[in-house]
Amino acid sequence: MCKKRKNTTKLNNAYFRGVGKQAFPTTLLSFQKKWLDTWRGNPPGPILLIFGLITGIIMSIPIVYVIWRSLSAGAERWIRLLDTRIPQLLWNTLSLAAAVTICAVVIGISLAWIVIRTDIPGKKFWQWILALPLAIPPYVGAVTYIIVFGRSGWTRDLWLNSPWLTSTFGIYPINVYSFWGVFLILSMFTYPYVYLIASAALRKMNNNFEEAARSLGMNTSQIFWRVTLSLLRPAIGAGAILVSLYVMSDFGAVAMLRYVTFTAAIYFQRAGFDTASAAILSLVLILLTIIILWIESVSRRKNKYFQTAGTHRELEILPLGKWKVPALLYVSIIFLFSVLLPISVLAYWSNIGIRMGALDSRFFGFALNSLKISTLTSLLCMLFALPVVYLKNRYPSIISSAIDRLAYAGYALPGVIAALGFIFIFNNHLPALYRTFYMIVLAFIVRFLPQAVQTSEASISLISPRIDEAARSLGCPPWKVLLKVIIPNMLPGILAGGALVFVSSIKELPVTLMLRPPGFDTLAVRVYFEAHEAVYHLAAPAALLIIIASIIPLRYMLSKY
Amino acid sequence: MHAIELKTITKKYPGAEKAAVSNLCLTVEKGEIVTLLGPSGCGKSTTLRMIAGFKKADKGSITLAGNIMSSSNTWIPPERRGVGMVFQDYALFPHLNVFNNVGFGYKDRDRKERIAEIIELVNLKGYEKRYPHQLSGGQQQRVALARALARKPVVILLDEPFSSLDADLRNHMRLEVKRIIKESGATAIFVSHDQKDALAISDSIVVMNHGIIQQKGTPQEIYQYPRNKFVATFVGQTNILKGKTGEDKYSVITALGAIRRTQPHGLKPGEEVYVSIRPDSLEVNHEGQIKGYIKELTYTGQSIDAVVEVIADDNTKLHLLTHIHPQEHKKVGEPVRLEIIPHFISVMPSCA
Amino acid sequence: MIKVKKVIALILASAFLMSLLVTGCTTKGTAPSSPADQKSEPRELVVYSNRNEKFVQALLDKFSSDTGIKVVALHGANPLQIIEEANNVRADIFISNDLGSLGYLHLQGLLQESNPNGIETIPEFFRADDNAFFAISVRARGLIYNKDLITEEDMPKSVEDLFDPKWAEVENGYAITRGGNGGMLGHVSALRYQWGDEKTALWIAAIRSNSAGIYQGHGEIRRAVGAGEHTFGLVNNYYFHQQLLEPDNNNVGFIYLDQGDGQMGAVSNAAGVGLVKGGPNEAGAAAFLEWLLMPENQAAFVGESLELLINSQFSAAYPAETQPHIVDFNSLKIQDMPVKELGNYFEGTKELIQASGLDLDLK
Repeated sequence: MCKKRKNTTKLNNAYFRGVGKQAFPTTLLSFQKKWLDTWRGNPPGPILLIFGLITGIIMSIPIVYVIWRSLSAGAERWIRLLDTRIPQLLWNTLSLAAAVTICAVVIGISLAWIVIRTDIPGKKFWQWILALPLAIPPYVGAVTYIIVFGRSGWTRDLWLNSPWLTSTFGIYPINVYSFWGVFLILSMFTYPYVYLIASAALRKMNNNFEEAARSLGMNTSQIFWRVTLSLLRPAIGAGAILVSLYVMSDFGAVAMLRYVTFTAAIYFQRAGFDTASAAILSLVLILLTIIILWIESVSRRKNKYFQTAGTHRELEILPLGKWKVPALLYVSIIFLFSVLLPISVLAYWSNIGIRMGALDSRFFGFALNSLKISTLTSLLCMLFALPVVYLKNRYPSIISSAIDRLAYAGYALPGVIAALGFIFIFNNHLPALYRTFYMIVLAFIVRFLPQAVQTSEASISLISPRIDEAARSLGCPPWKVLLKVIIPNMLPGILAGGALVFVSSIKELPVTLMLRPPGFDTLAVRVYFEAHEAVYHLAAPAALLIIIASIIPLRYMLSKY
Repeated sequence: MHAIELKTITKKYPGAEKAAVSNLCLTVEKGEIVTLLGPSGCGKSTTLRMIAGFKKADKGSITLAGNIMSSSNTWIPPERRGVGMVFQDYALFPHLNVFNNVGFGYKDRDRKERIAEIIELVNLKGYEKRYPHQLSGGQQQRVALARALARKPVVILLDEPFSSLDADLRNHMRLEVKRIIKESGATAIFVSHDQKDALAISDSIVVMNHGIIQQKGTPQEIYQYPRNKFVATFVGQTNILKGKTGEDKYSVITALGAIRRTQPHGLKPGEEVYVSIRPDSLEVNHEGQIKGYIKELTYTGQSIDAVVEVIADDNTKLHLLTHIHPQEHKKVGEPVRLEIIPHFISVMPSCA
Repeated sequence: MIKVKKVIALILASAFLMSLLVTGCTTKGTAPSSPADQKSEPRELVVYSNRNEKFVQALLDKFSSDTGIKVVALHGANPLQIIEEANNVRADIFISNDLGSLGYLHLQGLLQESNPNGIETIPEFFRADDNAFFAISVRARGLIYNKDLITEEDMPKSVEDLFDPKWAEVENGYAITRGGNGGMLGHVSALRYQWGDEKTALWIAAIRSNSAGIYQGHGEIRRAVGAGEHTFGLVNNYYFHQQLLEPDNNNVGFIYLDQGDGQMGAVSNAAGVGLVKGGPNEAGAAAFLEWLLMPENQAAFVGESLELLINSQFSAAYPAETQPHIVDFNSLKIQDMPVKELGNYFEGTKELIQASGLDLDLK
């Protein structure tokens, strides 16, 4: 009896280190049974679980705060906002998101098809260069468009100096500070999301479908509309979601162009310290994103396409023929507006700025801050992503999939909302970290962890669980398996995720604006302030540096896909 | 001391209606090669994974070389069981070369020598620096085997090891694997759903279905004397007839009339039974008592599988499978006579 | 294959090392120093400022090089942040563009009395009774106009003129800022003091509907007027001074409003500093206040802002283009309401502006 008792304790300890003495063996046993059932008889080690739980808690801070704060904001405030601001904001936000998404999808798909499937001259060059706008933050794009097309921009001067233009068309007609201005700029800098996903899908597409269609007598354009496009539907859906979520969370571009969406309104409410109203608007925005995600998941469930594996042949390259010139023209125009124009404007002003001594020690201080925060964020995201995906893939249960869901929450969570939650929690409950560098890093993690989780998940799903078991049977305890087998094999995926997080962090604006500690400005913040004051010679070098620093990790990441 | 001893192992997955494995008892002696044979879902893989420690049994105990690995109050994790495992997809570490794959987790001072020795045993000398993706299927399997054997495990477990090889290589590797295991002196448990693997490689076969052992025996015993209908149909091709035991100890009465066996069946007269007649026990010749005509012919290379339609005593149609020599030019629809050769006829109680 | 792995591992290792270094640096850099070492020798000072960064950073750099005290600044800070952080004070000094905000903070009990040397140079009209905050530079509200589009005679001369819808008719109209702009808030506060809420509300509604453009800030207005996008705009006088410095679009003039007999005088506001209660670097803050009150540094406070110095005898330096247009502050007629009392009207003003139809923030 005595011996048996001792043995049971030993067994329990294997699962619950630190639960303590067994006061009530039966309750404990039934709890143990439930616990084992939750994990389907395979619970993870405590360290791994704690790591995962911490990640989940950090990720849920902003959402919990926003819900709590907005519910306690009082009916009066709700009614006032619902009556006055929310309808207009809904219209502004949704119309912009819809228009930009449609435009970005059209541009992204058409470009991807042209550069992957046709014999356009300079194929390789276009394939890479057309992804480049991903490295240009939309607010930087907005600045360059203001410089060129704005109220006192270059084209206006040109217009006013061309009497025939003014006499035929009257006063200068372009207004970048408008819906169309925001729409054009956001489309130009978000289409790469669709373009990249569609390119990858086109490359993987099985030629058999097209050949089957051709054997049924369809011509190239019919094949494109009926076969290629419908096979691309999942890619279109994924790209469209990314673009619309981006538009809804973008702060910099809309703020610079004075177009007020939910995100901008939340920011300005918060800047005026009306935190309760900001929380209400945040909750509405979160609901909006959830609805959009839900619509997407429903439409995806309705349209399931499977590409048969097996025989896979290279896709046929279609000759453009007489369409060569129009296609080149189209691609060049997109390139002009999304890459050439912003980069050359920035180069022009950077040149002026550098000659005026813009690259002083302050500037390098800002650059260093940007580098610090982006590097640390990407490293931590890689680190945090690991237990999340490992738990989800190797220890499936309600708990691990809840952590996984939370880790993805940042995708739907605009930066301003994340920042809102963090200010409150840290100011009131974690004063030691309040207004420090680490608060920004944590908020960045909430925001960008999904990117690292997604790429890591893609790479861990390629590693068979049998590999883990092989290592276990060869004498490795679970932590050693993770270290010696899983991580080395996931590394390319983890690093690609880190690269993505780095690019996102270095150009991040609203979270940094709201959370930055005294004396800690990043390049992005400088671009925002200087451009706001129209001090372009100081804004341009910072913006250019952001772009350059983004290109290298972007290249690495793209080479992985 | 048995190399492996499983006592009343039971495993039920949460949410499942039936137990995947129930009350399974099995002992394996040192140096023996045992195959767990059965259709998918019969519990053979679950049993293997419980031995390896990847699954925990709900009840029962597992003892390896005299050490309790799993019981109601003991649990040894897989990394401390000293079990070698070869997986269906080999699960080689993609980031390590052959040498390091084989040497994974092997820390003793004779590491280099041991790895060299085992690589030689599996005939992979010269491939040490290659990575798994640079190897053929057969070579990958050798690496997997070498890796499992390197640490001189108490027991080596092989989970459907041949299923991803093509037919030719498969025949070759069966013999190779058997040689390697025998030379290394390890005790091995195979899991397979392929009777050819099982018959070729095993010292003894354990046929499983619905989580229960149906029969354990040498390949010959299993093939010649299946204990029940399931074993008879699962191992090898056969014709199953319903019948009753006759008055003497040698005969059974079936729809094809009385069939005599060369050995006594050991059952009471008048008992309901199944009779299994292997295709080899049915000979097409001119003296045969059973008349029928050829319904279907399938050319397999060494012989022709012929389905012969026979009108039985009770006027029902029976389809009997037999082999005929390719030299004999038979056509579909041709009348033939069949003779029952008394070897390889099994009689099994219908309740078993 | 193995090479790639090694390279990646190397990158990761070095990146990790870097991050450790980085974290080491930042901990030193931004962590508030413990009060213990503050007692003896001030080392650091945390300044929140909502004044234009360009002027303030230059001033703070001068302070650092004069005293060796390191200044950590948060530019673009909202005074309400001081309220939010009341239980977790991070700032030592708040530099405000608008004395009203400092008055408001003082009212909330978040500023702390001080008695620095040199405080007597600031007139009592421009400082709190306990010197918790005081002003250095002043500005007056008025209208910047484009001389190419309108002559001085044709311009409105009084705030009350703006009730008249005829000013909507001038070429390209006129410009105002959003309601939440600090200058606008101060202006409306003074009008409420002068006129009462009812008339002020009508005035807000009038400029709201008659103006052709509502801007985030005054910088945009002066540039727009200079470029002829509007005929005139309601700004502070120093924006006029700034526009004069532009290489082009600088043909602008300025009207100080209500200077005639019986008129209320120009609405004036002041920029100054406040001492935050319970800040982490008390000694540094005290040093900063005394340093700032030195004549040379009062002039430096004006710096590039081109505002007027309360103590014009300390002669702030203005560029040649601006110098001829600088008026002596003492010669201006300004409103009756003491600038330091602007803060008492802070809260009510926002509500009044919003209720009158002018948005606090751009939509």
